[in-house]
Amino acid sequence: MLHVVERKWWYFLASGLLIVPGVIFLLIGGLKPGIEFRGGTLLDVTFAGNTPTVAEVTAVMTSLGRPEAVVQAAEGGRIEIRTFEMKPDEIANTSKSLQDKFGAGTKVDSSVVSPSFSGELIQNAVKSIALASVLIVFLIAIAFRNFGWAAFRYGIAAIIALLHDAAVVLGVFAALGFFFNIEIDSLFVTAVLTIIGFSVHDTIVVFDRIRENLRLNPGEALNPVINFSIMQTLARSVITSLTVVFTLLALFLFGGFSMRNFALALLVGIISGTYSSIFNASQIVSLWQEVEDRVRHRATASAAS
Amino acid sequence: MGRAGPWLIAIIAVLAIFIDIPKHQFSFPFNCPGVCLKIGDLQINQEIKTHLGLDLQGGTQLILRMQLEKLPPGVTTPQSDLQTQAIRVIERRVNGLGVSEPVIQGLGDDKILMQLPGIDDLQQANDLATRQAFLEIRVPDKDHPGQYKSLEPPLTGANLKPTFVTFENGTKPVVNFEFGAPDDQRWIKLSQDFFQQPVQITLDGKEISAPTVNAIFTSGKGIIEGNFTTKSASELSLLLNSGALPVPLEVIQSSRVEPTLGQESVQRSLVAGAIGLLLVAFFMVAYYRLPGALAVIALLFYTALTYAIFRIIPVTLTLAGVAGFILSIGMAVDANVLTFERLKEELRSGKSLRAAVEAGRVRAFPSIAYSNAATILTAGILFWFGTGTVKGFALTLAIGVAVSFFTAVIVTQMLLHGAIEIPSLRQRRLYGVEERPQDIREARASAPAAT
Repeated sequence: MLHVVERKWWYFLASGLLIVPGVIFLLIGGLKPGIEFRGGTLLDVTFAGNTPTVAEVTAVMTSLGRPEAVVQAAEGGRIEIRTFEMKPDEIANTSKSLQDKFGAGTKVDSSVVSPSFSGELIQNAVKSIALASVLIVFLIAIAFRNFGWAAFRYGIAAIIALLHDAAVVLGVFAALGFFFNIEIDSLFVTAVLTIIGFSVHDTIVVFDRIRENLRLNPGEALNPVINFSIMQTLARSVITSLTVVFTLLALFLFGGFSMRNFALALLVGIISGTYSSIFNASQIVSLWQEVEDRVRHRATASAAS
Repeated sequence: MGRAGPWLIAIIAVLAIFIDIPKHQFSFPFNCPGVCLKIGDLQINQEIKTHLGLDLQGGTQLILRMQLEKLPPGVTTPQSDLQTQAIRVIERRVNGLGVSEPVIQGLGDDKILMQLPGIDDLQQANDLATRQAFLEIRVPDKDHPGQYKSLEPPLTGANLKPTFVTFENGTKPVVNFEFGAPDDQRWIKLSQDFFQQPVQITLDGKEISAPTVNAIFTSGKGIIEGNFTTKSASELSLLLNSGALPVPLEVIQSSRVEPTLGQESVQRSLVAGAIGLLLVAFFMVAYYRLPGALAVIALLFYTALTYAIFRIIPVTLTLAGVAGFILSIGMAVDANVLTFERLKEELRSGKSLRAAVEAGRVRAFPSIAYSNAATILTAGILFWFGTGTVKGFALTLAIGVAVSFFTAVIVTQMLLHGAIEIPSLRQRRLYGVEERPQDIREARASAPAAT
């Protein structure tokens, strides 16, 4: 049997090694808001023949009076062009110029968000995250209502685990943004919220087992019970994640291009969620107990002297 | 669940598969696209098809904001009425275009969402939605020669009769209009007051033409000349006929997807979904053996049923919605995994197969309920606050989770209960657990003597 509770500091260290660089990337502004959140135009260009170079496309955009255009090659031989907000006639004009230059088979998908609307989208994202957090705390409170006084520490541990998963995903995307200019949009926020839901439920399954085993084995020390419970739920945690990972991998590798980052965010989050539910969440409960025992021990020791 | 259970589920399965058939043509006794039935007073006329979002079938979407700050002072119409009126005007304009299944609806209290499937001319969509089509006839200003001023009160297109395009000299398109009462009398009076003088015809404050009045009119009729092509003349005529927007609108979000690129996305999503389903099915059978195979049957049932529900509600499938659906396939087996793991444990602890199946169901249930609650909660929040893509994802994920609750819990359990009644399916290794000595003894005893 693995001793996943005794080795908790190793697992905390592993999480730290993943999260700390992520936080650094976050702090240096790695997380790049997409046009949904800052306003502007995204042109997604598909070519019938060979994909032209970025420089060629940039030249066309400059000749159209859009020197600020950021041109990037994307999967599937596509080119993405980002500019400030464009009016419809300008988009039509740009499409035509691109077709004239690169062939009639050139297809341009466009998406424009005005800065005034992007503010509202940001507000909605913040609101949904705030509301989700409140509801998740309620859900945790309901799930642990039978835990008695210990409910609080289990709840806190579940919340730390979900913050862990959110931090991992944010960190990974901050790094991706820093190195590859990958942007985040409202689908990214959606992915984070989905991950939070998944993470909490994964953790609840483990905690539920701990509670059951504590009841069945009164007088048993906490750490062995936690370890045993994790082992019992290990197969379930891993297999459930695996099936979800399978579908997400299919989506990531074969699905539509615009779903790629979304599938990636979910993949990272679900794997992190499984890790945190096995290697972090219960260990926090164990640590809490150990600290409490030590404090009590010290108190009795000083009272005795 | 009693005896009726399996029959009920079989009926649902047959219905779901029937609904999933790509094209339906079932007409009795009259013809229509889709499924039609008429028996006495009962009439069913339902076209069953998959509704694809703009990103999957191509088209144009605009989100428009009402520029309330640009309204002239003194307008007291409530905001909600302005929104409804503006939606009606846009609807009339879009109907004139002949777009199939356009969506024009309020978004929040100051925005309008407009989706035009199949229209890939962003400029056209933009003009359609944002041109106010406020027609006004202005007259020469005596105090400022060469300029025009509004009449008191302004003579506008508010009472215009339907306009139409004709060709002057057989080639030059012009828009014919006619003022309805009481503005026709004002139009006649205007021709008397300003005989031999130019009057200005403006649309949204811009001059279109300034013809000279060279006759005294006898009716409310007139023509608008301008540098029209046949297309722009008919567009102007359509705009005038649909009425003026009660409030200026500005485009705050627009997107346009090429129809061919949309089709490509549909194909890619189908492939991704199929591969995801296959991977999950393969894994479940390899790992859980017989229960896994039963779970795969339930999963196929789940897929058929969810898709059928999407088709009849109908849920408009977007790329993100399809992603939610594919993700829910992976999540749908979670309830099975929870149950089967419990089943294995109970079997290992020495319970009989029947007792273990029952214990697995009962003891896994709370976890399944919480898991589904957590996901539905998240989906609910996403649906509430999300726009467009996010809503689509949340809706399909929520429907998927709700349906999987039914299939993974009820259908799999039913199949499992059925399977353990079949003697040849009662071997423990079919459930991924090693045989117990007494089972082997029992099996030997029941087997015909081989010697």
